[in-house]
Amino acid sequence: MRKFVFFGGKGGVGKTTLSSAYGVKCARAGLETLVVSTDPAHSTSDVFDQEFGNDPRSVEGVENLSAMEVDPDSEVERHLMETKRAMSSQVSPAMVNEIDRQIEMAHQTPGAYESALMDRFIEVMQSAEEFDRVVFDTSPTGGTLRLLSLPDLLEGWIDRLAHKREKSIDLYEKAAIGNNEPRRVMDGDPILARLRGRKERFEFAGETLRESSTFFLVVNPDELSLRETRRAADDLESYGLTVGGLAVNRLTPEPEPHEEGRGARFLRDRVATERERLRELRESFDYPVVAEIATRVSEVKGDFLEEVAAELDIDATAERPA
Amino acid sequence: MTLADRIGDYREALAEWLRGFYHGLISHPAYEKIEQEAEDQEDAFMLACFPEAFGIPSPVSYYTAELLPYLEDEFEAWERRMWDRGSLLERKGHQYHF
Repeated sequence: MRKFVFFGGKGGVGKTTLSSAYGVKCARAGLETLVVSTDPAHSTSDVFDQEFGNDPRSVEGVENLSAMEVDPDSEVERHLMETKRAMSSQVSPAMVNEIDRQIEMAHQTPGAYESALMDRFIEVMQSAEEFDRVVFDTSPTGGTLRLLSLPDLLEGWIDRLAHKREKSIDLYEKAAIGNNEPRRVMDGDPILARLRGRKERFEFAGETLRESSTFFLVVNPDELSLRETRRAADDLESYGLTVGGLAVNRLTPEPEPHEEGRGARFLRDRVATERERLRELRESFDYPVVAEIATRVSEVKGDFLEEVAAELDIDATAERPA
Repeated sequence: MTLADRIGDYREALAEWLRGFYHGLISHPAYEKIEQEAEDQEDAFMLACFPEAFGIPSPVSYYTAELLPYLEDEFEAWERRMWDRGSLLERKGHQYHF
């Protein structure tokens, strides 16, 4: 199994439960494991009954297990402050207001939130040496898939920006006749340096996602969830990412054969439709079904988590470096 | 002053005048054109970096914002050029000294 494992799927299908359970499973198998929640509606804290923050914190009662919850809002704020600090040391007082307005504006654009999340993603992946396994509990399908398509997109964009910058500097250098100082010089240009730094990070992210990550899609046995899973799987494939399998959650338990009555009949009907869906899942997807988890009466916490972990048929051993 | 000296002076003055003429007519406008082209490239770069300045949302403005502290001169010049420019034709036509 690869180092970075992502759990994705439609909202409310039980991604947090399964990723936490898988985290527990890995930790029990002796791997130093980190569970990262990137869903803005964090519920990792609820599963483990413990508060988590923006940095990894070890989970009480489970050895080798840590968890963290990424908060994009504070990330945007931090980035804003950092940029402003850089500004006050660089920019003359006359221009501060002008540029300040521009910086503020950039941090309120619709993409800021996603960019901040992406930054944090990369940071977590880069600083994950101490962990053998990092489990990402992602936000519902749309958001995460968009996020995962970002590195490629941004790489190209940054490339074009750098190219433009290089071209204008080159022309400035050519336009400087005789002893005139060119207006900009290529050597040590802070803009180019920053653009290149960014690009390297996106390259790292793209490579890590393609080469050291596996995605599991959590599905409920109903039509909507199935369709969304199909779309998500297609998207992931088209980004060149590896789908490891489907984890089916919230299966209805079957009543005892001797039981009759409305409840039992309802359950039997339900089980029959769900069987149909399961068959569809097995036959029409190319991915293995790695878990079939029945609905629990109470919240999945503590001992339940261990039970669910035991039902997950996902390999919990670290990939041997080739 | 001999005739030869006078001819020498005359030729020197002529050479200087010609050099100046050539510079003014050919080489200076050429360098000016290169510099203007550089400015145009820079404008395109700035526009690609900060399209929100004109109300166009950009997927990377969050990242390009961190370049701003290092782009003070460019930013100021860019804004000035953007507001001064009547039309693209004016900017491009201007270099031909009609």
